[in-house]
Amino acid sequence: MTSYQSRLGEGEGIAEELAESQRAISIAEFFEKNKHMLGFDSEARALVTAVKEAVDNALDACEEAGIKPDIYVEIQEAGDYYKLVVEDNGPGITKEQLPKIFGKLLYGSRFHAREQNRGQQGIGISAAVLYSQLTSGKPAKITSRPKGQADAQYFELIVDTDTNEPEISVDETTSWERPHGTRIELEMEANMRARNSLHDYIQDTAVVNPHARIEFDEPGLDEPLKFERVEGAQLPDETEEIRPHPHGVELGTLLKMLEATDSYSISGFVQEEFTRVGGKTADSIIANFNDRHFGRGMAWKPPQVQEDVDVETAVEDAVANKDATATAEFAAAVNEAIHDRDRVAHHEIAAIVDEAAETVEANHDTTFGSTVRENAVEAAWHCVTAERSSDLYELVDAATTVRKDDAAVEGLASRLADKFDDGHHRLTRDEFRAYVDRAADMTEDHDDATFGETARENVVDELWNAAVPIPDDPPNVSEVADDRDTASRLLEAMRETDIIAPPTDCLAPIGAELVEEGLRKEFDADFYAASTRDASVHGGDPFIVEAGIAYGGDLPAEGSVDVMRFANRVPLVYQRGACATTDVVKTINWRNYNLDQPGGSGIPNGPAVIMVHVASTNVPFTSESKDAIANVPEMEDEIELAIREAARELKSYLNKRRSLQQRREKQDKLATILPEMAEKLTEVTANEELDIDDSLARIMNNVLVEREVEDGTVRLAVENNDDTNADVDLTDIVTAEPEVTNGATVVEMDGEWFVKWSPTVAAGERSVLEYSVADDAEFTVSVDGVEDEKLTVDA
Amino acid sequence: MSTDSDDTPDTEVAREKLIDLAAEFYDQFAEGDVPTMTIPTRTKSNIEYDEDKDVWVYGDRTSTRSAKTVSGAEKLLKATYTIDFLARQLDEDRSSTLRELYYLSESWDVEEAQFNSQDESNDLVEDLEIVSDVTREDFHMRPEESGATIMGPLKLREQTRRGEREIHCQKDVGEGGYQIPNNPDTIEFLENDADFVLCVETGGMRDRLVENGFDEEYNVIVVHLKGQPARATRRITKRLHDELDLPVVVFTDGDPWSYRIYGSVAYGSIKSAHLSEYLATPAAQFVGIRPEDIVEYDLPTDPLSDSDINALESELEDPRFQTEFWKEQIELQLDIGKKAEQQALASRGLDFVTDTYLPERLSEMDVI
Repeated sequence: MTSYQSRLGEGEGIAEELAESQRAISIAEFFEKNKHMLGFDSEARALVTAVKEAVDNALDACEEAGIKPDIYVEIQEAGDYYKLVVEDNGPGITKEQLPKIFGKLLYGSRFHAREQNRGQQGIGISAAVLYSQLTSGKPAKITSRPKGQADAQYFELIVDTDTNEPEISVDETTSWERPHGTRIELEMEANMRARNSLHDYIQDTAVVNPHARIEFDEPGLDEPLKFERVEGAQLPDETEEIRPHPHGVELGTLLKMLEATDSYSISGFVQEEFTRVGGKTADSIIANFNDRHFGRGMAWKPPQVQEDVDVETAVEDAVANKDATATAEFAAAVNEAIHDRDRVAHHEIAAIVDEAAETVEANHDTTFGSTVRENAVEAAWHCVTAERSSDLYELVDAATTVRKDDAAVEGLASRLADKFDDGHHRLTRDEFRAYVDRAADMTEDHDDATFGETARENVVDELWNAAVPIPDDPPNVSEVADDRDTASRLLEAMRETDIIAPPTDCLAPIGAELVEEGLRKEFDADFYAASTRDASVHGGDPFIVEAGIAYGGDLPAEGSVDVMRFANRVPLVYQRGACATTDVVKTINWRNYNLDQPGGSGIPNGPAVIMVHVASTNVPFTSESKDAIANVPEMEDEIELAIREAARELKSYLNKRRSLQQRREKQDKLATILPEMAEKLTEVTANEELDIDDSLARIMNNVLVEREVEDGTVRLAVENNDDTNADVDLTDIVTAEPEVTNGATVVEMDGEWFVKWSPTVAAGERSVLEYSVADDAEFTVSVDGVEDEKLTVDA
Repeated sequence: MSTDSDDTPDTEVAREKLIDLAAEFYDQFAEGDVPTMTIPTRTKSNIEYDEDKDVWVYGDRTSTRSAKTVSGAEKLLKATYTIDFLARQLDEDRSSTLRELYYLSESWDVEEAQFNSQDESNDLVEDLEIVSDVTREDFHMRPEESGATIMGPLKLREQTRRGEREIHCQKDVGEGGYQIPNNPDTIEFLENDADFVLCVETGGMRDRLVENGFDEEYNVIVVHLKGQPARATRRITKRLHDELDLPVVVFTDGDPWSYRIYGSVAYGSIKSAHLSEYLATPAAQFVGIRPEDIVEYDLPTDPLSDSDINALESELEDPRFQTEFWKEQIELQLDIGKKAEQQALASRGLDFVTDTYLPERLSEMDVI
């Protein structure tokens, strides 16, 4: 029953947020205000939504228990109301689970489990229960029989709309013919105006759930519609629930995760709570986070010989009241370490000072306390930062093109130098950019130079790369959780970091074969094709697109083709026009695939059905009502490829059909002309009547099957006039026992002998089966393996 | 191809040949093969000179009508129906015109056997002539009367459907002359007083010659070609040459289309090259109007149109015109870019043609 829970939890960020701001009002009022979001905005749609929620839940419950679903849906007229009955053969539910599942609209959730389930749609069965109660005043009636129990349990459930607490008002033992399962009855204000949508929903559900059996009855039907299970269709593979991918979470989710985690450090948190994050990736995330959180320390070149500053002297002067030798040694060590580096940042000088202090302390038995150290650091930093313009000139010059005027470069460098004041020069990238912008603006104003967007960004890059990351420990999880800005920096850092795509075993596509079977089951067409793409990723969520096409047969030839949309095995009924699926179908040039498409774009015309199924841990919908898939480019690409894959098969089918039709037309035409010609020839030459079948077969490049019987010897010849090999399965039914050679087999049944022969006849070749049989035998030959249009049997 | 009209064996031969053709198709069906009919390709590029017979005939290239395609099958069906019709007609000793055949096909019960145009039925009859080696006339198929005539010192006997008639082509006829029947093989030449045969393209010039008494003065049989000559006209011209041993000269306008008229009299036409031996008069000579006449006599002219130029250029490649004379004349005409009609000679007076032009030219050519 986790599905109910996860669905309720799933059910839905938006509902929770809505409720949060509306805690003060009653649940009934909340429902009333938000019913359009929940799919209950009209009486017609309410019924569709209720059916949808109940059926989705029933399917999930069965699948999770490993039971092939057998669902019964009935709509009855009940006075002023409609009564909805949905039965499943799932595992049943206990009294304890009951309120959680059916009763509490905004039941607390686990955040964002990454798993492909139907529950991503809609708000859940509890909304249907509440709608029913609010409109009819009747309780939800639930019958449940857990597997293995002799009796069923009958409950009536009412939600206290003041407290949002479900109450079980009736609890009694009853008997039920189903060995296990759940039955729910809801009475509600409704109407059947959306009958077509309802039928579509049920049929579409049957198409994408070939492993389920569904029966549907409503007052307008003479007898229930039955959607049988595809024979041999297995339950969908159980999906692994995966942790979220760092690229796929929102800030709100991240905050909730930060609050709920047991981890103390960010490193532990990202490794523990996200998929595809190990130690290395965690380090990268933290480095990116630190850059945002602390910024980087600007590093400067150590003072050059010509500069009028000396680190050693400055440090020596800064150290007061210490042993002179030790002080000199300390200052020398600091000076040397600083000059060892190309550039040095404030925190690096601090590290150098610490190290030098500790060495000298050990050698001279003196103490360099923190005040002394700080003084030394400041003295050294002062020396290092004394000359900034030339450092910056070098960086700016490297970042700009040679064509930039030297004066402009110098102007920018010196103005930038002024921005770095007496502090420690720790800046985030944005702050660097602000410095550069101001300096560049000033330079443009005064020096008549221009620094465009690219030039500025290049300068920032150069500075940013010269600056040194801060090795400080990042704040711990609770600190991040408490500060939205910090959390936002973490989110950015996660998005910035390259992380491998999420695993895809959390998805259970239907599979091309079953997509085709599903279509075959529900549409009486001439041709079916289906395709399943490999998994892809959008944001942090893996997804798989599948497409199917049915063509011809009983499908209506007039008007545009039907586009059936599914997300995680749930039919999308409303907002067809807003859906990425529809958009993709419209942009494909269907004339390439031999479908009629007026104007060369838009939904094609013809007797066809196109279905698209998107399976994902997080289907991107356009809105909370979850009726249409958003135009995410990665997903559109995959939808297009899936459709094209299936359409290619359609094309070759239609091409073949066309050529067979032309052949049939030619054959029809010749079949009127040539017999007339033969008849006339017979008349003119006064000869006996002609048999022109063999000529016709040759003309049509057909496979010709001929029989000759002579003195008890039968010669059955297969002549291939086509230009490709013919694999012919030939069965000759003979009324007397034959003696066969040539590799044919004989089976006797009820006094008839079935001579089976399966030759492969090369283009232009002729194979002969010869056998002897009693003279009075009769023959009936049937030929398979060759299209009727290409076959002439003259035997 | 006998000159006797009521010769039953000949009719019988024609009938048998047609039925043999049908039997060929029949056998192809019986064998389980695809019925086909192979005929020479009837284009300019597929005619060649037959040195023995001195005429242009079809070369080796052939096209095949095969029942493998719907249109091929339709052609064969039409051929079969036409064979049936012709065989019946011969059986009943009747005849019909090409146009009648076209309309008659409308009555055939199978729509696919009916002709879509008269060109189609004409072509088919020619196909049948070729494959059966029987002429249209022996199928008892005739074209519409072409109205071509003869005027000159010749006495002949014509076998008409209403008995034999003996006619002298000067004395027994009006100014219009003797009308050539559709099958000139029904004519027997009795006696003549002619020195040569002059074939004239246009009616106006023919009338001028007759009015000026040119036929009497020079003992000439004037054959009016009436444009592109019908088979009967070409046939009788050939017979006048072969049987009476008379030289034949052709007098036409001075434009490329008229040279083709000469070509079909002398060498045979491309469409009926299978009958060249029967219709062409290789010894026929061209009188004019020649491009050199336009220059020499300063005749009133029209400029050559684009289609004239194309026709002249096409004639330069036509195997029938590959002689020094024609190359020279055609190139000269392309050079001056002009053409002239026979009547243009009237610019020098009505008698100029009979008093000066023809006598001079013909004596140059050693005809008179």
